[in-house]
Formats: sequence, structure tokens, C-alpha cells
Amino acid sequence: MYEKYRKKSPWILHYNAGSCNGCDIEILAALAPKYDLERFGVINTGNPKQSDIFLITGPVTLRSRERIVELYTQIPEPKVVVAVGSCSCTGGVFRDMYNVEDGVDRYIPVDVYIPGCAVSPELIIDGVVKGLDILEQKTKEMEKPFKLFQEATTKDGITSRRETPLRVGEDNEKN
Amino acid sequence: MIEMLLILFAPLIGGLLYGFERIVRARMQNRQGPPLLQPFYDMYKLIDKQAFIVNPYHSILGIMHFVTLWIVVAFIILGQNLLYVIFLHLLSTIFIILAGFSVKSIYSHIGANRELLAMLAYEPILIMMAVGFFMLNGSFDISIIREKEASLFPLFLLFLAYLTVIPIKLKKSPFDATEAHQEIVGGVEIEFSGVFFEFLYMAKWLEYIFVYLLLFLFAGNNILLATALFLIVFLLLNLIDNATARIKMNHLIKIVLGVGITLGMCNLLGLSYV
Repeated sequence: MYEKYRKKSPWILHYNAGSCNGCDIEILAALAPKYDLERFGVINTGNPKQSDIFLITGPVTLRSRERIVELYTQIPEPKVVVAVGSCSCTGGVFRDMYNVEDGVDRYIPVDVYIPGCAVSPELIIDGVVKGLDILEQKTKEMEKPFKLFQEATTKDGITSRRETPLRVGEDNEKN
Repeated sequence: MIEMLLILFAPLIGGLLYGFERIVRARMQNRQGPPLLQPFYDMYKLIDKQAFIVNPYHSILGIMHFVTLWIVVAFIILGQNLLYVIFLHLLSTIFIILAGFSVKSIYSHIGANRELLAMLAYEPILIMMAVGFFMLNGSFDISIIREKEASLFPLFLLFLAYLTVIPIKLKKSPFDATEAHQEIVGGVEIEFSGVFFEFLYMAKWLEYIFVYLLLFLFAGNNILLATALFLIVFLLLNLIDNATARIKMNHLIKIVLGVGITLGMCNLLGLSYV
């Protein structure tokens, strides 16, 4: 019933996970009068408990990974995570360095990836609008924990924990 | 009948006013701004969100804050005693301060502390305003004040003092250190989420109604003057909000207490001699 209103008032939480500040400046540029994200109802709240969209910039440094998970769990459902910039998508130029965790999606599920170094404000607006579509589809049911596998059962001589046991030589595409 | 309808729809009117104000502020910054119904979109979204309850008292005190403010607005519309209204409004502020102290968040504590200090600054001015109306009209009853002539001229200095109170109540710069969205992340409202934050959000709209209804008292029975006062104060408030930076809490208290009490006492002394 209220799903369509999620799209109309996304509140943003912005976190810098060791970014060089390039993407952060572009995010602020998107919020500032020239691009004016506020016309979509976007507010930059600094408060995870009142936010819907989590914008993360920067490769995840060792120090910031716990904060990211903590902030993610503090955002109430439904929520969308947007990785802003090449660094937070894949690690960027910092990939495989000893103090960097190669992107946000190693720790929390990411819904939208926005590439670019640094991303342009137009791309950020596109990414946030894409995130709004995902936010509308999300339901609270999706976030509830569920059992991936059942108890082990033996059927036709095959022991499996799946609902329909996989047979030898059967096409695996369905699974 | 009209009064009952006004009381019932007071939060909705406040929401429309808040949405309109966001558009005006955006146009002053040369941008388009959110749609007029944006506060209601926010409301529906917040109802749908998951709500974290830090502790039950925290959430209940937030709701009490909203309910008490609604009663305050109802009392003003019904024309009750002005002193009752001011003290009941004080009670609603105390509820939100208690809510701020009931959680462990440091930001919440700082916000509640600042809310207390701000209350210390603006409450004497509101009480002096009530005394001024009493000296002029011989009664604290709002219904009697509304029937009398406009009291803007004899209470002009108190009106100026009241102008310094409005930005504190509506959390506008330069006097928005109680909320301070970039430093202490909203102060007392930080731990509220989902539908409980919604009550705080609607209480903000009711604050608008409260502040402007008190402003209308200066116009007495002159509706034209009331409209003019509302327009002038509304535009001036947003202009100052856009043009100034936030000041520190101790400066806020010094300015509001210094300017407000001086102006108010001058006005009251003048009234007692004339």
C-alpha cells in the first residue's frame, strides 16, 4: 500500500570508507543547487536510523569495514546500498593492496554499482534513481532469514538436502 | 464546528506549510525544490519502515510530545488561557528532553542538554509576552485577546523579542544549535526511527502552527494585519535561515536572553507607566 511512497522520499546516508574525497565532493555536488537531488525528495540525513539509501565511497579500508557493517545493520528495512565510484565497486587502483578490502560487496550486499573515477553527478543521480526502483520492489519478507536447505532425506537411493534431489547426468540449469 | 475541524486538521495544515516552506527556501537558493506534498510522502514512507525501539519509554515520550503539542494547538484555537498554553507547551518540550536523556547516545544527551538551555532562553520571553497581553487586555484568555484591537503597536518591543524565539522553536539558523543537523545529527531525534520518528516529524509541523498562532495574537481581531504579519515573518524567517550560519549555544543564550529580556522588560515597564 505504501510502497509507492518509498520512491518519493529516499533519505540518504553517506559514508566515506577511505575514499580520496573525489566521489564525496561529487555526491555533494549532486545535492547542491546545480543538480538539486532534493527535487526528488532526497535529504542527506547523517543518521542511519532514518535513512533508506546507503551511499558508500572508497575502497573499504581495514579500519572502516566494521563501521560499514554496523551502519548497514542500523538502517531499518527496506534499504538499498549504492557503491559509488570504482574503488567501492572493485577496489579500483587500490585493488590487492594490503590495507584494502577490494570493494564493499565483500561485507554487505550491494544493489547498485556506479563506476567512475570520480563519478560524475549525473551518474550518481542515475544510480540513485535506479536504486529507487529496487527500493520499491523490496519487501520486508525478503529480509527475513529462511532455510536454504532442508533436513537430509533419502529418495530413490540418493541422499540429498535439496527439495528435488539432483540426479547424475540431469541438466543443472534449473538450479 | 470550524474550530473542531481546524484542530483535527492542524497537523495536515502544518505539513502543507512545511512543504511550502521547503519550496520557498529552494527558490531562494535558485533551485526547484521538492514537491508541495513532500512531507506527506515522507510520512507514508516512515510508516512503512521498520521501527527500532531503543527502550519503550523513549518511544512513548516521543508520542507524548506530539500529543501534548496537539493539545496546545487545540487550546489556542479554542481560545483558552494563554498561560496554560505556554506552560503546557513547556511540558511538551520536557517530554522530548526526557526522551533525549532516556537513551545512551551521546548525541541525544547533547541535544537534550541544548534543548534545556534553549528553553531557559526563550521561556521568559513567552511568559513576558503573556504578561504584556494581560496588562493590555486585562485577561489571559486568548478568546478575549482575539476580540480586542490589534496590540502590535503597544507590544511592539515584545513582538521583536518574540521574533528571536521563532527561529529557536522552528530550528532555523542562526538559532538551530539545538538540532544542529551536521554536528550532533539532529540531537534528541537521533535514536527515533520508523513510525516513532514520524511522530517527531509531525510534532515539527505542529510547532509551525503553534508559533504562527501565537504570532496572530499580536494582530488581535484584525485579520488583514494577521495575514500581513504571517507573510512578512515567514519570508523574513526563511531569508535569515538561508543567509546566516549557525551560532554556538552560549551565544544563542546570550543573544536571546539579552535582547529578548531587555526588549520585553522595556515594553512591560512602558505599559505599566502609560
